[in-house]
Amino acid sequence: MSIAQALITGAMLGGMYAMMAVGLSVSWGMLRVINLAHFGLILLGAYGTYQLATSWSINPIVTIVITAPLMFLLGAALQWIYDRTGLTEFTSLLVSFGVLIIIVQLVHNVWTADFRRIDPAVNTYGTKSWFVGSFVFPYPRLIAFVFGVVVIVGAWVLLQRTFVGRALRAFAEDRDMAAAYGIHHRRLGMLLAGASGATAAIAGMLWAMSFTLVPDAPFEWIGIVFAVVILGGIGQVLGTLAAGLLVGALYNLAAVLWEATASLLVVFVAIVLALLLRPEGLFVRRAGSGRRRFWARRGRAGQPESSPEREVTAR
Amino acid sequence: MMRRGLIGFPLVLLALAALAVFQDTLGVSLYYITVLATLFFWVAQATSWNILSGYSGYFSFGQGAFVGVGVYTTAVLTSKHDWNFFLTLPVAAVLSTLLALGIGAVAFRVGAFRGATFALLTLAVPFILASVARLTSAIDGGQGVSVPVPELPEPLGFQQFLYLVMLVIAIVAVAAAYAIQHSRFGWALAAIRDNEDVAEALGVATFRWKMLAIAVTGAIGGVAGSAWALQFGFVQVEVIFGLTVPLLVIVMSVLGGRTYWLGPVLGATVIVLVEDRLAGGGYESWRPIIFGGLLALMVIFAPEGLWAQLRARPLLTGAVGAATLLVVFVAGIGDVLDRIVLTMLVTGVAAFWPLRLLPARLRRSAAAPPTPVADAPASEPASPEPKAEVVDALATDVAVSKSGQDAPLAIECRGLARHYGGVRALDGLDLQIRQGELVGLIGPNGSGKTTLVNLLSGAVRPTRGSIHVAGRDVTRLAPHAINHAGVARTYQIPRPFESMTLHDNVAMAIMFGRKPDSLARARERATEYLAFVGLKQHAASRPADINLHQRQLLEMARALATDPKVLFLDESLAGLNPAEIDNAVEVVRRIHTSGVTIVIVEHLLRVVNLLAERVIVLNRGRLLADGDTQTVMRDPAVVDVYLGKSGRTVPANDAGGEHA
Repeated sequence: MSIAQALITGAMLGGMYAMMAVGLSVSWGMLRVINLAHFGLILLGAYGTYQLATSWSINPIVTIVITAPLMFLLGAALQWIYDRTGLTEFTSLLVSFGVLIIIVQLVHNVWTADFRRIDPAVNTYGTKSWFVGSFVFPYPRLIAFVFGVVVIVGAWVLLQRTFVGRALRAFAEDRDMAAAYGIHHRRLGMLLAGASGATAAIAGMLWAMSFTLVPDAPFEWIGIVFAVVILGGIGQVLGTLAAGLLVGALYNLAAVLWEATASLLVVFVAIVLALLLRPEGLFVRRAGSGRRRFWARRGRAGQPESSPEREVTAR
Repeated sequence: MMRRGLIGFPLVLLALAALAVFQDTLGVSLYYITVLATLFFWVAQATSWNILSGYSGYFSFGQGAFVGVGVYTTAVLTSKHDWNFFLTLPVAAVLSTLLALGIGAVAFRVGAFRGATFALLTLAVPFILASVARLTSAIDGGQGVSVPVPELPEPLGFQQFLYLVMLVIAIVAVAAAYAIQHSRFGWALAAIRDNEDVAEALGVATFRWKMLAIAVTGAIGGVAGSAWALQFGFVQVEVIFGLTVPLLVIVMSVLGGRTYWLGPVLGATVIVLVEDRLAGGGYESWRPIIFGGLLALMVIFAPEGLWAQLRARPLLTGAVGAATLLVVFVAGIGDVLDRIVLTMLVTGVAAFWPLRLLPARLRRSAAAPPTPVADAPASEPASPEPKAEVVDALATDVAVSKSGQDAPLAIECRGLARHYGGVRALDGLDLQIRQGELVGLIGPNGSGKTTLVNLLSGAVRPTRGSIHVAGRDVTRLAPHAINHAGVARTYQIPRPFESMTLHDNVAMAIMFGRKPDSLARARERATEYLAFVGLKQHAASRPADINLHQRQLLEMARALATDPKVLFLDESLAGLNPAEIDNAVEVVRRIHTSGVTIVIVEHLLRVVNLLAERVIVLNRGRLLADGDTQTVMRDPAVVDVYLGKSGRTVPANDAGGEHA
């Protein structure tokens, strides 16, 4: 039972990692901003949920009614700054790293470094589980899983079906061309970044419901969440969900079979291998010659080479 | 330049060492010794980081990994195996170098690991090491390790000992950074930072230089980490492998300036002293907020860093600095460190203060006299008769032969194909080019011309087929090796090294080309090539300051400077006006006369008619025609491709000058 149970519990946890990753993935893929501050928004969302649940005894799930709009505004405001200062993909990484450090320290100064946990009397899901045969589904994990699937699939549907979604995808493909066809890139960018911020608030809520809070938590998330982003394919919404479930399952399996601290190691080795073998993400269908492209890219002398397509995207 | 370093660094070392050895006589308080030891550690770390990430632009979040390996090597060996501290230093250096080479071997081999992806990969490495250390009880096991104090040489206390160790490591690190910047190594890294693909095509073995850079970074990071273990006394996984090290080294280097060896030293000095004052004043909890904000603001508003700003405003910053120092000492504010920090901060503000917020009168004197921007006419006629010796220098071992049937083969392709997914950009091409020929390569858009040039210069690998250069199989060689075999190319859209002057762009190519030359010789000889294409008067300009035609001439000069046997000109005349075209044609002829085989890709049939003795026509990835210019231009198949069937009545020659 233990392996199957570990896989299931892990995959459910993966729903939460996918939730954390999806905003990051979308802003990287579509806005060309690698927004490390996203982790700061998740942290703020988590502490926001904690504070509301503790001070006013609000049901943790309901707190997102307040935290999500706040994070929407914060995310949009950050995007306004990134956009106005004309950051490239790479400098955005540095700037948002600075913002993340600031947010973590602010949380530190407000809530101290003590462990915080929502009072079980308010967080009624914290200790309950759902039993199906010999399998156990703890409520917080189940909720994380359901939220992850619903929000991410919902986001995907919106991107596919609505005008704004199509405009965003056009914008991601070619900014200048999209702008020439009358797509207001600034407003769209802020809308997308705001939506990412709202998903960060939900991810924070899910985290606060399951785990104890510490201000340094983002640095534990960075590795595994980027693993999800990269494995899922940058900017691929459904890929992120699939990668989240996969990484969660793998993570938990390593923890059960080996040792809790080993799971990060396993996941990182997996991500490095995946980057080597499938740099464009696990679930992206490749055009054309498939495998040969990978082998063609590394020559015997080991020189990375440029192909015209890469250079275009790099710019 | 190098000689100045040979004298300077030992002098600085001796002077600073004297501070600790004669501490009592000089009346230096022990507190300053401790602060300086910390400063030296961070100078070593920031400088070490900068060698890879600043010079080559491969930004790393993984400095903590090298530090951690150093810290734990010393901690474990001295505490659990009773090693002498000094013996652990070389072990730490070897281990962290191996780690660095391991990271490099994975990351630099794959083209996908550039820019942000490399940064993220290095972000993961310290976390992996941390979990390994936490799991292995022989290393840490989650318990932490206490580091014994080594036996100290007689007159020294622990703080003085640590000070001297850190000092030596820091001086070695800075001297290494200095030496690298003033050698071919530093130039190779700068070229990689500016444009890695172009550097590779110009003969720079980018993989090797990057491996060397990351090895140096790892070695210095590890050794400094060893000494850091002593300072800690008790090491813990969370502290060592956390984000403090990468955050601080990045902030220091970005603040000081990443492209100059002194930048990280400057940045480390500011940060460490400010940090010390913040901690002393009880503002500990504001520290990360200040540094995080500083990083964000610097990257947005002054990515060049403090050093560049100081150099741009020597008068203003010098005056403000001196005045503040004077005021602070006369007024007697705080202790010595307070005064220094205050002076640095005021000077720093003066360095970064937006000039437009200054009164107009000050504005002019604040900035250094602007470098005269080349006010270039559209095209300088190149000196019509190049000096004989220049032509001699360029006429290499390739005999200027008549391009008859008997001349040896320069390029030979057999069954050459390149597919992009299902698209057959080039589909089974057989081609022979003899030495001394000047061949035109034409064809409609998408016919495979640029793909062919990319294949022949190694930028893209063939799906099938083989390429020989002067009889040697180069099919699977890296671009720099193909360049060394005697192939050079220019780019349709010029891609100069933007951070270098024209002169240095050419010097780069001489240094790493087919017959690599020393830095000093290359810089001497660069002027010849600029003169050859008629850019001599712009030698000191930056590529951004010259026009398109001149940038294209620079491309030619740079390619020529690698001393090629065969030169590919990829639409070097695109977008020029008629006068410029005439000038360019003249330059191409001159290059050909000097003995270089030329393949010119061109849309302008007039140019091809003027220059080429032989024309190759591609269409849809296949060879359509190959022969002497007049015959090919009249070939009905070629006319069809260019003008459509209805154009057949028009004599091909009259199509000249039109864009095909």
